[in-house]
Amino acid sequence: MKNISQRRLGALALGLMTALGSAASADVYDITVDRVQIDTGEFTRSGVGFNGASPGPVLRFKEGEDVTINVTNNLLEDTSIHWHGLILPFRQDGVPGISYDGIAPGETFTYNFPIVQSGTYWFHSHTGFQEPDGAYGAIIIEPKGREPFRYDREYVVQLTDAHPHSGGRIFRNLKMSSDYYNRKQRTLLDFLGDAQEQGVAAALADRGDWGEMRMMPTDIEDLQGFTPLINGKGPEQNWTGLFEAGERVRLRFINSSAMTYFDVRIPGLKMTVVQADGNNVQPVPVDEFRIAVAETYDVIVHPKEEKAYTIFAESMGRTAYARGTLAPDEGMRADVPEMRDAPLLTMGDMALDPAMAGMHGAMEMAGGEMDHAAMGHAAMGHDGMEHDGEMAMADGDLPPGAHRMPDGTIMGGPAEDPFYAAGSGLEPTAAEGGKFLSYSDLKAQRPLYEHRAATREIELRLTGNMERYIWSLNGVKYEDADPIRLQYGERVRFKFVNETMMTHPMHLHGMWSILDNGNGKWNPVKHVVSVSPGTIVYMETEVDAPGEWAFHCHLAYHADSGMFRKVIVEGGPDEQAALAPKSEG
Amino acid sequence: MKHVIFTPAIAAFLAIAAASLSPYALADGSHGHGGGAGQIGAPGKPGDVTRTIEVTMYDNYYEPEAISLKEGETVRFVVTNAGAFVHEFNIATGAMHAAHAPEMQMMVEHGVLEPDRINREAARHMQATMGHGMHDEPNSLLLEPGQSGEIVWAFPDHAELEFACNVPGHYASGMVGDISLTH
Repeated sequence: MKNISQRRLGALALGLMTALGSAASADVYDITVDRVQIDTGEFTRSGVGFNGASPGPVLRFKEGEDVTINVTNNLLEDTSIHWHGLILPFRQDGVPGISYDGIAPGETFTYNFPIVQSGTYWFHSHTGFQEPDGAYGAIIIEPKGREPFRYDREYVVQLTDAHPHSGGRIFRNLKMSSDYYNRKQRTLLDFLGDAQEQGVAAALADRGDWGEMRMMPTDIEDLQGFTPLINGKGPEQNWTGLFEAGERVRLRFINSSAMTYFDVRIPGLKMTVVQADGNNVQPVPVDEFRIAVAETYDVIVHPKEEKAYTIFAESMGRTAYARGTLAPDEGMRADVPEMRDAPLLTMGDMALDPAMAGMHGAMEMAGGEMDHAAMGHAAMGHDGMEHDGEMAMADGDLPPGAHRMPDGTIMGGPAEDPFYAAGSGLEPTAAEGGKFLSYSDLKAQRPLYEHRAATREIELRLTGNMERYIWSLNGVKYEDADPIRLQYGERVRFKFVNETMMTHPMHLHGMWSILDNGNGKWNPVKHVVSVSPGTIVYMETEVDAPGEWAFHCHLAYHADSGMFRKVIVEGGPDEQAALAPKSEG
Repeated sequence: MKHVIFTPAIAAFLAIAAASLSPYALADGSHGHGGGAGQIGAPGKPGDVTRTIEVTMYDNYYEPEAISLKEGETVRFVVTNAGAFVHEFNIATGAMHAAHAPEMQMMVEHGVLEPDRINREAARHMQATMGHGMHDEPNSLLLEPGQSGEIVWAFPDHAELEFACNVPGHYASGMVGDISLTH
């Protein structure tokens, strides 16, 4: 939302520049960071917002303009704003301790940067736990040219996982006891049920393994007890977007949650995914998609009937859902589906954990894409466990859903999603049948970079100790780690090896993350790459932005406990300019 | 991008080449698509053509975005794919397009329809293993980037028709336009 006081700076001069084919307008935006009240319909609490509200305003920029954004801190503590997914000079990136010092109470910081991209993005505080406390908003950037798709109206659908506890309190509780917020712990009755199904020995062995991991099969969401919101409204408050039958409606989904992945569907409507993380993709019609923390997906729906449709977003761990409505008239509503049963993590999901490697021959079944030798697991033995068919893992060499016929032939099973471990409990299927979006489906509409071989590979093991709630990269947490140094002009291939049982949305600031999903020159260009437990995922980055950048897991409490790195880009034509301190106007 | 001027001979060749690669989309009742071919018109005679309309296909939209015609008119469409992806120009009813979409999806799944090319080897394989693949059909053109083609179409007096691209996702994201027939 443009502030009323926006000034057209030097309109005449800019008009001349436009005539000469240069940049367009230069708009000024004013944002305040404030204490606000948050009402989810299930609880109210005080939190942090922008311009007096949480979520903050929708900022609408135009590709090619220069923006000036005055951010005034009305809090009693430091704050900051990070422009998530925007390509900009690093001093403008808004990460205290890396880009700048942050914004002190009472101070106004003026951001100034060119808008060099288009699409759906968001912004949030990068200070403490202000983002989980409500300091987030949406960014829409209109492209210079025509979109490769057509729609009659559009809505931002911004999801979050509002929690009655403040972020600081949640973090202290998780540090004290990592299962503080896990309401789905398994009980003696579950154990007896497993023993009945699997045999006592297998059930016991399974429990032993989980103990070794310091995790539980229900550890999908380490933060529960939240109320999912759509554009600030809880399920009962029912955010509603209006449409006229026959219109195409563009929905800009943004997951601004601290910790929660959502599985999103609109029963009765096919969704055509046209953009991921701000970059257009070749359109994919789907029935449901999973949105990782900090990702965005734009979809087009085409409701032809004069009726209401429910936007239904279940949390990945099925502990809560967000709900909104698309309808021809205010007040109309459609059925709200039941949540599905919670998934359970499986041995497949722990396949890459080194602690498990010596114990399980079963690990070898975990799937073709895993290179155990390269991970130093070559000595993995078969002696630790009998494969007698009592455990689900005994058929771990089959794709999920497939089964072996008595004559040995393998039957059916859905197509395996390579972005989940074989036998994973997390691999989703569409609730109403049909197509569930996979990372494999994403193909860039117009690749930003020429496809070329990477010049270097950097392995990052995603590591953690759940019991102590320490999350790290390569076993080292942020405060003990050296920065990752990249050279301007490199194309670096990052190899993420997820050795934990949590799913981590990895976010590199300042430069694009080209997900290697096997589509070659059409590999999609993202700013968040989600890595499921027990999997290896590659992304490549064209190192084209000098300066110092943050690189971290976007789960708020993982980032803060150490799953975070500073990246320094050395060299490049603009190094001196980029590294020079930015004078504030 | 400039329109390329084609001699009739080249255009006819391209049209034939493209049509022979087009998947079956004509609703003749025998494939359960509903409606009859007469409902949408029929291939026209070159001698009856009253006007020529140039259509350019981009990623993923048409220019023009809609077409207005007179009832019963016979029109030559000169269609050029100026995009980076394979696109279709298909004259049919909305229901016929919807019925045609799964066939196009199947072509993608069998590797016949790649984003920027038609894999002819995969098409032959699909034909050999499944007994069906691509068919001639006079109401549509499936064009690779840079290709052009022609359709001569005799429109009926009354019909609710759309020209559309049924490459998966393209129709749904808006690569479709109305053909209005007026007095």
